[in-house]
Amino acid sequence: MDHNLRVARLLAVHGLELARHLRRLVHDDDVAQDLLQDTLLRAHRALTRLGAGANERAWLYRIATNAALNHLRKEKRERRALEHHAHEAESAVGPDTDGHGQQPDVRRVALWNRVAGLPERQRVALTLRVADELEYAEIAARMGCTAEAARANVYQATKKLRLEVT
Amino acid sequence: MSEHATAERRAVERIVLGAFRQLTGREAGALRYAIMDDTPVGILGLSAGEAGLNHVGFVKDEDAFVERLLAEFGDRPVMRSTALDRARHELERYFKGRHLAFDLEVDLSALSPFDRKVLEVTARIPAGKVATYAQVAAKAGNPRASRAAGNALHKNPVAIIVPCHRVLRSDGSLGGYGGGLPAKEWLLRHEGAIATSLL
Repeated sequence: MDHNLRVARLLAVHGLELARHLRRLVHDDDVAQDLLQDTLLRAHRALTRLGAGANERAWLYRIATNAALNHLRKEKRERRALEHHAHEAESAVGPDTDGHGQQPDVRRVALWNRVAGLPERQRVALTLRVADELEYAEIAARMGCTAEAARANVYQATKKLRLEVT
Repeated sequence: MSEHATAERRAVERIVLGAFRQLTGREAGALRYAIMDDTPVGILGLSAGEAGLNHVGFVKDEDAFVERLLAEFGDRPVMRSTALDRARHELERYFKGRHLAFDLEVDLSALSPFDRKVLEVTARIPAGKVATYAQVAAKAGNPRASRAAGNALHKNPVAIIVPCHRVLRSDGSLGGYGGGLPAKEWLLRHEGAIATSLL
């Protein structure tokens, strides 16, 4: 089978699930599409290394999750740099005192910010647990770690957020 | 399906279609497919485009089915989808014997006019009844074309939905079937068209 057909087969069979997974991790459709393409290209390059009978689906999930983690890490570095610039700009011109009042749902925004501020692996594990409602074994398969490590990540995240998750 | 779930499915499908366009250059309308891997007659592969169901057939496994779709529809993205739930539901109902008729949009536009006519005639044979190749050919407008009618039925893209298994030889023997004769026998017996004792 030629290159295009192999990539097309992976997309046909696993595309929808991977796209849903990536979209939930990065919360941005364009980024999710880039990461999906990235995942398939990487998978295609490594396809010969995947032994017969191996779990293709779990393997693709792992590649996709790593791509998303790398993206989030990079994004966080960029955000820090931006915040740094914003801070410098603010101290130069003074704070914005225009005052349009408070956000409509301050608490939700605050919680979202705290989730966004969690270490990546905790944030991903928490997202998979709460938004995707996955079992720890499934979270582990998608993150390429053990179920215990997945549970520990979710536990640490919830402890930080003091959020009740069943 | 809730509005939220539908919106999510659309967004996710857009992501997959975008990736298809970028990676494979396939631009045409998407083909959605589903696999039913636990039917009494084996594994079935279903596919549908915008105009409706365009394939129901017996397949070896999901990979083989997907590879065939990708080869057959070289310009179209192919993806697994839950959008075929309705067709799956009607087929499951059929296999349970609760309801033997189908109410689905079927796309036969890829066929020649005669082949299409043969399948339209065949679609009107009710469950529990059978017809001969000669009868179907006559109803399709050409009484001497029973062999051509057989060929048209062999090319039936939507097995079971268009019940080509209800067409037999004039001597009462089963004739042929794309899914194999045991499947044809099973379907006819399931519909009550042949008594178990006769087989």
